[in-house]
Amino acid sequence: MVRNGLTRRSLLSLGIGAGAAATLAACGGDDGGDAGGEISKEAVKLRFTWWGSDARHKRTQQAIDLFTKKYPNITVSGEFKEWNGYWDSLATTVAANDAPDIIQMDELYLASYAERGALLDLGEASKHLKTADFDEVVLATGKVDGKQYAIPTGLTTYAIVANTDLLAQYKIPVPDDSTWTWDDLKRIGAEVSKASGGKVTGVQSWGFDSGGVNIWARQAGASLYDDAGKVAIPPDVLASFWQYLLDLAKNGIAPAPSVTVERAGAPLDQSGTATNTSAFGTWWSSQLPSLATASGQKLKLLKLPTNGQPAAADSPYYKPSMFWSISSRSKHPAEAAAFVDFLLNTTEAGDVLLTDRGIPSNTTVRSAITPKLTENDKAVADYLQSVKPGPAPRVTPNGASSIETILKRHSEEVLFERQTPQQAAAGFIKELQAEIDAA
Amino acid sequence: MSAIGELRRLKTTTRKKDNRAAFFFLLPWFAGLIVITAGPVAASFVLGFTDYNLIQPPEFSGLENFQRMISDERLHQALAVTFKYVFISVPLQLVAALGLAMLLDRGLRGLAFYRSAFYLPSLLGSSVAIAVLWRQIFGADGLVNQALSLVGIDGRSWISDPSTALSTLIVLNVWTFGAPMVIFLAGLRQIPAMYYEAASVDGAGRWTQFRKITVPLLSPIIFFNLVLQIIHAFQSFTQAFVVSGGTGGPSDSTLFYTLYLYQRGFHNFDMGYASALAWLLLIIIAGFTAINFWAAKRWVFYDD
Repeated sequence: MVRNGLTRRSLLSLGIGAGAAATLAACGGDDGGDAGGEISKEAVKLRFTWWGSDARHKRTQQAIDLFTKKYPNITVSGEFKEWNGYWDSLATTVAANDAPDIIQMDELYLASYAERGALLDLGEASKHLKTADFDEVVLATGKVDGKQYAIPTGLTTYAIVANTDLLAQYKIPVPDDSTWTWDDLKRIGAEVSKASGGKVTGVQSWGFDSGGVNIWARQAGASLYDDAGKVAIPPDVLASFWQYLLDLAKNGIAPAPSVTVERAGAPLDQSGTATNTSAFGTWWSSQLPSLATASGQKLKLLKLPTNGQPAAADSPYYKPSMFWSISSRSKHPAEAAAFVDFLLNTTEAGDVLLTDRGIPSNTTVRSAITPKLTENDKAVADYLQSVKPGPAPRVTPNGASSIETILKRHSEEVLFERQTPQQAAAGFIKELQAEIDAA
Repeated sequence: MSAIGELRRLKTTTRKKDNRAAFFFLLPWFAGLIVITAGPVAASFVLGFTDYNLIQPPEFSGLENFQRMISDERLHQALAVTFKYVFISVPLQLVAALGLAMLLDRGLRGLAFYRSAFYLPSLLGSSVAIAVLWRQIFGADGLVNQALSLVGIDGRSWISDPSTALSTLIVLNVWTFGAPMVIFLAGLRQIPAMYYEAASVDGAGRWTQFRKITVPLLSPIIFFNLVLQIIHAFQSFTQAFVVSGGTGGPSDSTLFYTLYLYQRGFHNFDMGYASALAWLLLIIIAGFTAINFWAAKRWVFYDD
């Protein structure tokens, strides 16, 4: 492969214009594809993929522009998608041996890609990619089998996003989130639905992301997976989760199931929170700025309600909001590593990206950008500080990356009352465990 | 040069040589078939007997993939959804196609325009754009609900309700009746008008004429459309993928066979099983086509 690439490129350099060469460079090879090698002085084209909202695309493009100003011979082309399409596209390109060089990775998929050898061990790229400014605990979230396959961009935590403009409009006080329970959320949500005449629902239903079910399990003193990577959530805990969601939908506190399902499959901008049609919604705290941009109203992060049990005190956790990883088949691993280093370790990039990918996990960058944060970014940072995290849950085991698809389907079964919460719980656990066993 | 020489010689020689010319001109197509289609088909056959996660090399696993199908409940759901889709949408589509073809055949002014207008949906039908449009039309705030609200009916999100989601896809497929319609229209033009004249002189009504003249003489065309549309419907993918956001949801109600196959292969990194599923689909389609050909002996009438 490498030798062919060199031949092709040396032929090219004989006479074809620079424009054409830049286009074709992607087909060529690098001086060796060695992550510890020197940064090339010749034209290098990197492909970089991420998911996210419009606000993120703009910030990321600015960071790319800053990088290419520093390294004029490197071009970075961004390929961005929204979450739902992202993973299909990534799996397809990886399988076709056409993976982008730099990949935004999520905790759900990390083990699945790393254990199958699709990701570069970033330890090999340590010459270009420094990790001195990261806490060991934070770095550990990106390790699989002891190797650093990914580095977390930032931290986030599960939260309720409340629309305080809507609450003010209906003259409902913002609840005290240091003491509230799930029953309170249900009660206040019902008040909103009633006050708006059904135009705005109190709560945006959830049950489609792994955060919600993780928190529910942890509040009950359980966990989604045990340390060995087996599904460990007790069926009755899971059933009570779905019973709660069903109650919300049946009492008009959450939208009708078909509306909920439609929104769950749509981009963030079309959610109940973003369109100001739900007063409360569960989100990752880092999503606040994107939501606020789409909503245009005043949004506030609240701590999650609890079930009043002692285990609930330890239930919040810091989740790496996402990771940077590099394809193991990248032809330019050194340059890709330099780019990731730029994103993670420079205040230039930090100033642009701010908290869009979570509160920066690089402690130097974090303190450097704190004074520059906008109101919403600052709220995200403050919220993270205010949460007292318990021990981090186990990384999603290989094979379980489809948990959200399985979760979504069972949530639909419950919401449309085709299965009881108990049946759905049993079915979910069985199916998820089977996927893990098969991987 | 050689092709032209070939042609000259062929003109005067036997039918055997005609065949050779045909093969010659088909060469580019054969090359494509072998390189682009046959290669992957053969590969998928081998992969069907392996455990293959796309990234690491496949491991031979014997008949395990096929044994797994027996207890795979989602596969059974996918089969149920697909059969329902095929057996409801194809007959409806053909009836609509034949009905319109007969209407157009009565010599409308501006026939060419109507023909194109009705044909247009089948050009667009399996495209992503139309599937996205369908999402909008049948969504919670879509056109259908806006129309319903005018007459005071409270709609719902048709595509996000498991009891109606598949129906919206069936409607979409029926709507793309243009391709069979154009073929029907061509077939109707071939039926000599004197048959109808003779029949009406004998006192046969419209319905009798349709049953005794149109259907028998058109039967080879009906058969052709039936076979083609069944195969086509079994392979549907884009509509369900776009409308359900790739999940086959809500609650697996639009889980087309091909969509489930895709999910196994690309969501679950289960390409060995997905390859086996592809072969099961091939067998199912081949089975239905064989039944069709067998049944054809009883109802298809060939003039020559």
